[in-house]
Amino acid sequence: MTTTAVPAIGEDEIAAFRVLHGRLGDAVETAVRGKRDVVDLVLVSMFAGGHVLLEDVPGTGKTTLARAVAGALGGVSRRVQFTPDLLPSDVTGTSVYDPQTGQVKFRPGPVFANIVLADEINRAAAKTQSALLEVMEERTVTVDGVAHAVPAPFLVVATQNPIDLDGTYRLPEAQLDRFMLRTSIGYPSTEHELDVLRPGSGAGFVGAVPTVSNPHVVAEYGRRLQTLHVAEPILRYIGELGTASRADDRLRLGASTRGLKALVRCVQVYAAAQGRHFAVPADVQALVVPVLAHRLVLTREAQLAGTTTEEVLGDVLAGVAVPRPSAR
Amino acid sequence: MTARLSWSALLLVVAAIHFASGWQGALPALVFAAAALLAFACVPLVRWQRVPTGLTMFGILVLALVGGYWVARDSAETSDPVNVLLDLVPRVLTAARPAPATPELLLPGALLTFAVALAAAVSVAGKGRSLLAPVVGVAVLYTCTALLTAGRADRHGLVALALVALIALGWLLVDRLEAGGRVLLGLPAVPVAVVALLATLLPTGDAFEPRELVEPPVTDLGVAGPLPQLAAWANLGDAELFRVKGPERAVRLVALSDYSGAAWRAASLYGPLGAVAAPDLPPGTRVEEAEIEVTIGGLTGSWVPTVGRPTSVTLDAAVVDPDSGSLVLPDELSPGLRYRTRGVVDVPDDTDLLDATVPAGGQSRRYLALPGLPFSLAEYARQIVRNARTPYERAVAIEQVVKIGRTPDARAPVGSSYARLERFLFGDPGEPGANAGTAEQFASAFAVLGRAVGLPTRVVVGFQPAAGEERVVRGSDATAWPEVYFSGWGWVPFDPLTGTSSGGSSAAAKREVLNRLASITATPTTTALSAPPPFVPPSQAPDARASAAPSRQWVGLLVSASIPVLVVFALGMLRTGRRLRLRRAGAAGAWDHVLDLLLLSGRTPHRDRTAPDIARDLALDPAMRLAALADRAAFAPDRPPVPLAGRPPAGATFAAGPPDPAEAWRLARQVHAGLRKIVPWHRRLFWAVDPRPLWRR
Repeated sequence: MTTTAVPAIGEDEIAAFRVLHGRLGDAVETAVRGKRDVVDLVLVSMFAGGHVLLEDVPGTGKTTLARAVAGALGGVSRRVQFTPDLLPSDVTGTSVYDPQTGQVKFRPGPVFANIVLADEINRAAAKTQSALLEVMEERTVTVDGVAHAVPAPFLVVATQNPIDLDGTYRLPEAQLDRFMLRTSIGYPSTEHELDVLRPGSGAGFVGAVPTVSNPHVVAEYGRRLQTLHVAEPILRYIGELGTASRADDRLRLGASTRGLKALVRCVQVYAAAQGRHFAVPADVQALVVPVLAHRLVLTREAQLAGTTTEEVLGDVLAGVAVPRPSAR
Repeated sequence: MTARLSWSALLLVVAAIHFASGWQGALPALVFAAAALLAFACVPLVRWQRVPTGLTMFGILVLALVGGYWVARDSAETSDPVNVLLDLVPRVLTAARPAPATPELLLPGALLTFAVALAAAVSVAGKGRSLLAPVVGVAVLYTCTALLTAGRADRHGLVALALVALIALGWLLVDRLEAGGRVLLGLPAVPVAVVALLATLLPTGDAFEPRELVEPPVTDLGVAGPLPQLAAWANLGDAELFRVKGPERAVRLVALSDYSGAAWRAASLYGPLGAVAAPDLPPGTRVEEAEIEVTIGGLTGSWVPTVGRPTSVTLDAAVVDPDSGSLVLPDELSPGLRYRTRGVVDVPDDTDLLDATVPAGGQSRRYLALPGLPFSLAEYARQIVRNARTPYERAVAIEQVVKIGRTPDARAPVGSSYARLERFLFGDPGEPGANAGTAEQFASAFAVLGRAVGLPTRVVVGFQPAAGEERVVRGSDATAWPEVYFSGWGWVPFDPLTGTSSGGSSAAAKREVLNRLASITATPTTTALSAPPPFVPPSQAPDARASAAPSRQWVGLLVSASIPVLVVFALGMLRTGRRLRLRRAGAAGAWDHVLDLLLLSGRTPHRDRTAPDIARDLALDPAMRLAALADRAAFAPDRPPVPLAGRPPAGATFAAGPPDPAEAWRLARQVHAGLRKIVPWHRRLFWAVDPRPLWRR
């Protein structure tokens, strides 16, 4: 963070961002109906420079959402369908011999894009998943000892089926921690489902999503939004939430510092999306579950008892006093 | 909800156990506590959604009454259920105090406890979730206890204190606990300390006695006073009247309080021991209990020998006159009759008596009555006490004057009329009965002269048995002595016959008084007066101290009354100070003020609720706007970012610059007004002075 070096984000920038955020949301909503809160969350993660994991049962519109977001943001987007026989080089790219020049040349894989849609990521073998992991973290691809940088901004929108479904490979905890935010979509309401089913409606059709921005604008806003004011009590609150999660005996792994840092980043974007130049505790509460839930690891007993990390986080939230405006 | 119910149940169980002190033994406490808990156990039944709450409650109460009837039906004289149930209350009020723990006497208490606890439990568990209902229930039970025991159950107010502290704790903590907040350890100490401070200053008044409202079963016994019998007993000499075992105290037969000018009369209305009200003049503060065992020998008549003011006797048929403590057996005493009796004896110290006052009016009038007192006796009495400063000195002076120069004579003429007393006191030597008499004349002369100078007196007939483990009381032991009532110290015996064995006052103390009086007391005469002084009715004899006492009482009352007022005023000032401090803090202070209001209205939000969440829960528009302003004041940077362009940002929901404190407080006032509309009246009653916001965190 360079809050001291960079001037704090101005209110007109915030207003402009809010307008852009609204337009992006509207654009995505032409394809994905009735899921504005999920769309907003994905957009928050995009602006916070983090990767998104969409987890839900097949057929709820994960891929549609990912593609719609990619479409609305513009830039280069590529899609990788993860399958059990997918090799790491299919994702990162490989060196090939060029007979014309007689040299070995690097042919970039689909990760060389601004937005990468990693579809059904948990259907690939662990080795392939790890290849993506390196790119997500390092933002470089190393082939034959040569590092190739992926374009900036670089965002991965991965989708996965719930792990109890057949033919899935559980993502390792380390990899899950590299997603800034995990959310699920859920089935649409009856009204919106009818809208999708109605012949001729644009719902579910990604091709009609207008491009309202470009990745560089997103990257610039992401940089500027890091200067948004987060008051000391709110940082302290986030810290207390982390401590409380680590003290919970149902968790084998509580929230990591990286997770809390991601929460702060998301809170900054979320606050700006509401048109505020400062964060409030409600922003933290709204983002705790999507940002932290997938990073926590339950104990064996808690898993057997059917506890979910969302429930644990709910209890952690209820147990920590929220900072309120006070005369003191 | 659990905290609420547990607190209410605890309160009512404590009150129920206290209520049980109106009955004998430990069983009533168990029964009443169980009744209270049973009522709380009915809560799930009452909350059962399918039947209206009122109907369920009614059903439970009817069941309780039917059960009560089933218990009481055997002991009742009538079989009409309504009458059986209605008779229960008078029965408790006419029973001995404390009432025996029999089923039919326990029943009204148990029913009352159950009904009160049920009402409280339903109110707490119901929609209102009122924290006032258990307090009302406790007040009802406590009042009933005080009425039933004439305030003796909680003489020092300790139970009341404990209850008030419990109530205060509940009011402070229940909402907070249920909102999931932490409880400060020091917090409970504050109400306890305040209550304890107040309790030390509370005035204690005369107890209201509900037993006065019901007529105890009294018997009109025309029993002849035993005074004339003194001579007959004296003539019996060594004949054994009865034997007595126990502490060496004078055995009393009867106390005679009413003097007609011709004779002393005994009371004629008697009731069962324990069931009748307290004596007309309250007993002293220093008392001793004594128990004796009596075996009747040659004693005849209805009067039962006792010690002190009897509290219990093993004769079932014995009835008592509560004022004098005289026990009467409607059937005559029979030789060989054996019984035990306990009594309370006033034992004031000498130092207590030296400055003791005597009551002047009210209940003591009866002990000052001297119908048609001859001038000679009145003037004689006045001269005797001319130099005496206190009532005790007057009594000692009279005792001494009556004793000196008069001889006990068992064959002297009987009687205690004015004429007989004038002959006894002023008679010429040679006249029968002049300067000589039995204990009857000595005691009567003292009592009449005492009354003439404003001392409440009575004459007691009894026996002064010789010392020993089992003492044989003979005819020659029969005697009579006068007693004087001193405020706060009870009836104190004097002995004008011998001047030695006068109850609580030792010879040394009397000698001291007499030494002081000796130099100035002239021998009283009746002929020294040229003209009769105006007659002053003794009952109106002025007492300088009496006029000073009420004014002191008023000051005490005023001080006691002003302390709660001062406390309330101080609390009001502290709250105002807090409000001013919050006002200076601007929008954040306004939100703090709203949180104060929520605390007062019993809606303390859970600790994880943010300001906008709380506002949304309230569903008040001003609250939502205020929450946004307050959040901005609390969490926005101190210096807002300067807009790059001069125009106001489009689409910004928050106005630029810091929030306007005046606007925030205007919204806070609107929230206040909105809350007042939705909060029940009893919660609003003490809003302005409720101290809880002072230590809200």
